[in-house]
Amino acid sequence: MKPILNHSLLKSCLEIAGPRRELTIASLGCLFGTTLLLLALQFFQDVTTYLEQNEGPKNYFTLNKKVEGGALVNLGKKAVHFSPEELETIRNLEGVKRIGGFMRNQFPVTVYIWPTGKVGMGSAAKADLFFESIPDEFLDFIPASWKWDENSSFVPIMVPKFYLDLWNFGLAPSRVEYPTLSQEAASGMPIEVFIGKNRRATLDGRFVAFSKRINSVLVPESFLTWANQKFGQPNTGDFFFLWKNDSIDGPPRSRKELMGMSQESAFDTWEISPLGNPANRAPALSVLKTGDKIIHPSRIILEVLDSPSTALLTFIKESGYELNREFPEQDLIKKALRGLSLGMGGIGALLSLLSIATFSTSYRLVIAQATEHARNLLLLGFSRGQISQIFFYRFLRLFSWVLTGSFILGHASKYFLLGQATKMNITLPSGFSPESIILLGAYGVLFSIINKRVIERSVHDLIG
Amino acid sequence: MLIELNKVVPTPLPDKVIKSSEIWDHNLRIESQSKILISAQSGMGKSTLLHLIYGLRHDYTGQFSIAGKPAKKLTFKQWEKWRRDSISLVFQDLRLFPHLSAQENIELIPEINPSAPSVEEMVDRLGMGPYLQQLVSSLSHGQRQRIAIIRALHKPFRILLLDEPFSHLDKSNQILACELIKEVVEQQQAGLILSSLGSASSLPFDYKYKL
Repeated sequence: MKPILNHSLLKSCLEIAGPRRELTIASLGCLFGTTLLLLALQFFQDVTTYLEQNEGPKNYFTLNKKVEGGALVNLGKKAVHFSPEELETIRNLEGVKRIGGFMRNQFPVTVYIWPTGKVGMGSAAKADLFFESIPDEFLDFIPASWKWDENSSFVPIMVPKFYLDLWNFGLAPSRVEYPTLSQEAASGMPIEVFIGKNRRATLDGRFVAFSKRINSVLVPESFLTWANQKFGQPNTGDFFFLWKNDSIDGPPRSRKELMGMSQESAFDTWEISPLGNPANRAPALSVLKTGDKIIHPSRIILEVLDSPSTALLTFIKESGYELNREFPEQDLIKKALRGLSLGMGGIGALLSLLSIATFSTSYRLVIAQATEHARNLLLLGFSRGQISQIFFYRFLRLFSWVLTGSFILGHASKYFLLGQATKMNITLPSGFSPESIILLGAYGVLFSIINKRVIERSVHDLIG
Repeated sequence: MLIELNKVVPTPLPDKVIKSSEIWDHNLRIESQSKILISAQSGMGKSTLLHLIYGLRHDYTGQFSIAGKPAKKLTFKQWEKWRRDSISLVFQDLRLFPHLSAQENIELIPEINPSAPSVEEMVDRLGMGPYLQQLVSSLSHGQRQRIAIIRALHKPFRILLLDEPFSHLDKSNQILACELIKEVVEQQQAGLILSSLGSASSLPFDYKYKL
């Protein structure tokens, strides 16, 4: 017996207009839900890729001694430096590849940054700043202009790449006079560097590089050594109590003052003690022996082989040190952006679920409106599969329009977002990744399977 | 093909109807190729009997089996196959699609009966040729009955059920329809059950029952 299934006749019996309003709402819900889901998926991938490409290295850490208490408590105490013995111990710990000390400026620094590219033109971003230096071997790369000598009035400065992001995403959007800057543009900004007490010297500076490794404002070590010698001011570590006949004599004296008193006849009978520990007295002559104060680093950078070893972590805990991962804020950004994409995905999924439910209800209504004809066809011997197929193909036609619409809308949205990202110097891949397209396909298949089941069940219920 | 009804009583049916019936609450064997006339007044359960056999109703007590299988144990798939391949029914309310033409209604079946006369021949024999392209909604009830009969014969069957098929046909058209039905049923070596309000048609029957 030859089957003569005439699809157009079957369709004409079953394709009744249906509940237009419900179908429109379901289609729009599905369109927006799918678009949001697709964008969230792509956004998650783009963000992950971008952060991986722009992430600082994971095996650099800084170490310092814990600072506890407030300003008043710490005012008289010596700075928390690492002694040579402590540095040696750290250097020899398991998993530590190398260590380097941070040197700090011992003079005031104020900078004027001129975003317009010319000193005196427009508004300058003014800030009291600090400088640090580390051995060049710890820099991610050594820029060509990373050198300084006493005849040079130009100071190369290296700041974390994240500072530029803060400028672009934090400062610039809130101040009309500050433009967003690419790395090239930021490198071209002239910087006036005022150093020393009462701005004794003015130097020209420029950002010559943006570090992804060191979270500090860096200048060449040679410059900082020179500037500290020339403009350095005594700090609390340079002041002592002077003891005469077992009692403190007058206010604390600086090392320089004490050295000036060394010619006095009773000098060798006097004693001194540090401000932080008055009981720790020593002969005043010891000041002369030490000569210029040796500054030990209070913060060190260490490169570990992989992640910090248990031995290192135990040592740090027992010694009361603090270990800081460089650029921990990247983790926060990553978490925030991933949270955002998860949120978007969640809303998209919710909308999609709602649209699945609306679609299901709408298709029950479609079938309900075609009940009489569908029942008659079943009574004529058509199978439920044949009847369901007609309804399902109708759903598929509508759903493929929705999916195509989502794809186009998603593309348009991404194109717009790419434009915005480019303005902020963020380069993202255009279009959708194969993973997104595959997942969209999988989502489409799942959506179709669910609706197919709903249709089959509704047709099944038509006759017993 | 053997259809057996043992003490079948559809629910709900008044006791009075059951008591006076020759079928309800009796044993009935419908052999292959049997030609049966069921006659009764309205409301006695003629359509109910045909619908039971067609698998549209399952609300009965007693035993009803098709080819030895209890009807209540047949799966939906088996009922689908039964309706597609083995049974054809001219519904009392015809169940035509009014938005389709007469020809489209005849063609809208899942499978065709290869040994039945061609559609053109059947249409000509029942005088429906000029109306073939007309929408069913524009045909008279008698014309629609003839289209429904042609559709039922155009589909494969081993038993043909006719539920008051000639109620709106005049004598001459009844004779033409009966001749065509008799010919196709014999060709098919099929059985036949015809329900009627009482007047016997010109078809030869092996058994006549009153409901």
